[in-house]
Amino acid sequence: MPEPVVSATGFNYRYPEAEGPALRELDLDLAEGSFTVLAGSSGSGKSTLLRALCGLVPHFHGGDASGELTVGGLSVREHGPAELAAVCGTVFQDPEAQVVMGGVRSELALALEHRGEPAAAVARAVEEVALAMGVAHLLDRRTETLSGGELQRVAIAAALVGRPALLLLDEPTSQLDPVAGDELIWLLRRLNEEWGTAVVLAEHRLERCLPAADRVVAIERGAVACDAPPADFLAWAAAGGGALATPVARMFSLAGLGPVPATVKEARESLRGAGLAEVGAPAAEPSPEPSASRLPWRRERRGAAALKARDLWLEIEDGPRVLAGVDLRFEPGEKVALMGRNGAGKSTLLRLFKGLQQPTRGRLERAGGVALLLQNPGDYLVHDHAAEEAGEPALAAAGLAGRGQAHPRDLSGGERQRLALEVVLSGGPCAAVLLDEPTRGMGRPDKDALAERIGDLAAHGAAVVVATHDTEFAATFADRVVLMGPGTVIADGQPAQVLAGGWHFSTDVARTLSGAGGALTPAQGARLLARELVG
Amino acid sequence: MSLVPIYRPRPSPLHAAGAGSTTALCVSLALVCALYDHPVVVVAVIAAVAGAGLAAGVGSEIASAARLSVPLALLVTVINPLVYAEGNTLLIRGGSVLGHRFDITLEALAAGGLAGLRVAAFVMPFALFAACVDPDELLRSLRRVSYRSALTAALATRLVPVLARDATRMGDAARCRPHPPGRLAVARAALSGSLERAVDVAAALEVRGYSAGRRAARVRRSPSRHDVRVLAAAATVACAAVAGKLASAGSVEAYPRLEVGLGPAELTLSALLLLAAALPFAGRSARLGVARA
Repeated sequence: MPEPVVSATGFNYRYPEAEGPALRELDLDLAEGSFTVLAGSSGSGKSTLLRALCGLVPHFHGGDASGELTVGGLSVREHGPAELAAVCGTVFQDPEAQVVMGGVRSELALALEHRGEPAAAVARAVEEVALAMGVAHLLDRRTETLSGGELQRVAIAAALVGRPALLLLDEPTSQLDPVAGDELIWLLRRLNEEWGTAVVLAEHRLERCLPAADRVVAIERGAVACDAPPADFLAWAAAGGGALATPVARMFSLAGLGPVPATVKEARESLRGAGLAEVGAPAAEPSPEPSASRLPWRRERRGAAALKARDLWLEIEDGPRVLAGVDLRFEPGEKVALMGRNGAGKSTLLRLFKGLQQPTRGRLERAGGVALLLQNPGDYLVHDHAAEEAGEPALAAAGLAGRGQAHPRDLSGGERQRLALEVVLSGGPCAAVLLDEPTRGMGRPDKDALAERIGDLAAHGAAVVVATHDTEFAATFADRVVLMGPGTVIADGQPAQVLAGGWHFSTDVARTLSGAGGALTPAQGARLLARELVG
Repeated sequence: MSLVPIYRPRPSPLHAAGAGSTTALCVSLALVCALYDHPVVVVAVIAAVAGAGLAAGVGSEIASAARLSVPLALLVTVINPLVYAEGNTLLIRGGSVLGHRFDITLEALAAGGLAGLRVAAFVMPFALFAACVDPDELLRSLRRVSYRSALTAALATRLVPVLARDATRMGDAARCRPHPPGRLAVARAALSGSLERAVDVAAALEVRGYSAGRRAARVRRSPSRHDVRVLAAAATVACAAVAGKLASAGSVEAYPRLEVGLGPAELTLSALLLLAAALPFAGRSARLGVARA
């Protein structure tokens, strides 16, 4: 049995002036070289636990700590972050806020220079970590020129340069697109396997990281609610209502199949074992090309469009072509997921519809007011009290009735998002409501609440267009998916047409079932499986 | 283009030289502005910085900083005649408020103009410094002297564009609200957001051992040919400025009559400033050295 790199016994912590403890009676042992995922809803205490492991709690944030928590044999109550930095590296959510220096090489060297290491040792460590993390080609770049994914890799390399035994990551993929997020998780798995670095990763999108994990620790209201291997955790999560379960686990649970699989591969094997091989087998006939099926069902509905773009171009002077001849029409009451990789032009298209930017060519038509919620809801909240941002009805609509005196920055991510949405909607009915990446860093309950609100808005006649990378969310709320390539629309159709046959733009349920029956959500997949089982 | 010049690596002698060398050149040019208010000398400093900036490929950054300094210079020019009523040549006879006469004299206006020019000139060496000196390398050079101050300066350089992006985003969000909040509210929120960012950065520094407080190891670096040229230019500027001052060159008397001495000393000093600023770029070896770097 390897020595625990983290050991907690009855550890409690309360933030200064907080009413209740953020961590309660924590008992936990994490073995050297393990890969642990911390699961839990927003505000459950995941981030606080990570901050305790790196010593920011209680030394940086203040507050009261009791009980015992050791990291690499050092008690976090007696040793501050600087001493703990020798045994654990920490990576936070926002790469912009954790990169300190102007150049990548200096950034990687910083931690060792703080320790007073000789220059030759620093240079060697920087070279080695850069090669190991695949950022050697970035060493002479300025940090402000890096993409989000590159910046996050540099931040991880900077945390690892001192070869710590433990790496802590707080939702490191929440600011990244799915491709960069997946790459990051597999990079972490590789360094865990090859270097033996223990990894503790807090994440909302468990389907992304469970395949790499040895163990999952679920935190609820500051206490450990479940501590088990991924498969056992998923069985626990599915039994408890499924808020933390992955889509595939929920599908199995709803279909009454077991054991609950942790990965898509396990799910397919399990289906084969249950005699449902043909459901999970690759489709004999691929799904129709989404772009080829340009929605005859929609062409029939030709009233006044809520939003219309005709031959829309945006070309930056001395820069790239952002949009190239986009033709789109959004009907009143339509719920549309606008998808595509980073840089495809999704956000730009929303900004043009709102009028924040002007196209260089083409025509835009709006049937009425347009509400746009940009990516960072905190940017909309500029007052000291939630009640000053929006009236009481709007607070109630945001689920914040009675919390008008709360400071917006004290609200959770989901609450801030709901409040900001009500702020942009406070001008009265809109022809269209546009949301840009609204589910970043959100747990499933918040996403479900958002899907419900989108349904309400559409029911009142607004076209709701949501730019998102989250295929699971798109499958939940949308009745149309528009897929963008670089500056152009490359597919446009019903979710089942666009997402069921996709490779990257697809849901885990669709991948498991190879697009069979156009099932995208756990409920649709479970219905299909149930039919097959009966048949 | 950022209002404040930001360092980006470029193939120029000023970028290739060590941070200490280029800083020395910028400081020596700023020293001239501190010692002289003679218009010819001050204009020579502006021309020297502009020329060096153009040759180093940061002309647009320097121009941007110069534009930024114009309102400040104009403000100084306008305020001086309102505050000083000395001078023999009366241009406008103003009234009296609380016992203070508001007469505008030609000499006070000219002195304001000279002071404004000097303010604008002062901005220029700092713009050259911000555009050509790698803050990380400067931090490394100063680590053993004043680490925390140097880190603060490096962080400020890094965070300026980040905070500018934050402010732009918040401005866009305000435009998306049906009832946009006042500018003051947005500015206050942007300030509060920047403080939050500062706390995040402080936390990031803490977990990377900032408060360990170990004295950094000494890094020895042999001076390159660019260092030699840039340091020679800095020494030339500094020596010429001090020598000129000791020789009472560049005398300007604003009151009671404007008297600007212009003789061989001022012209020689100005010529030396221009030549010294060109020194790092002179010759084929400077360009070849940069190409290899």
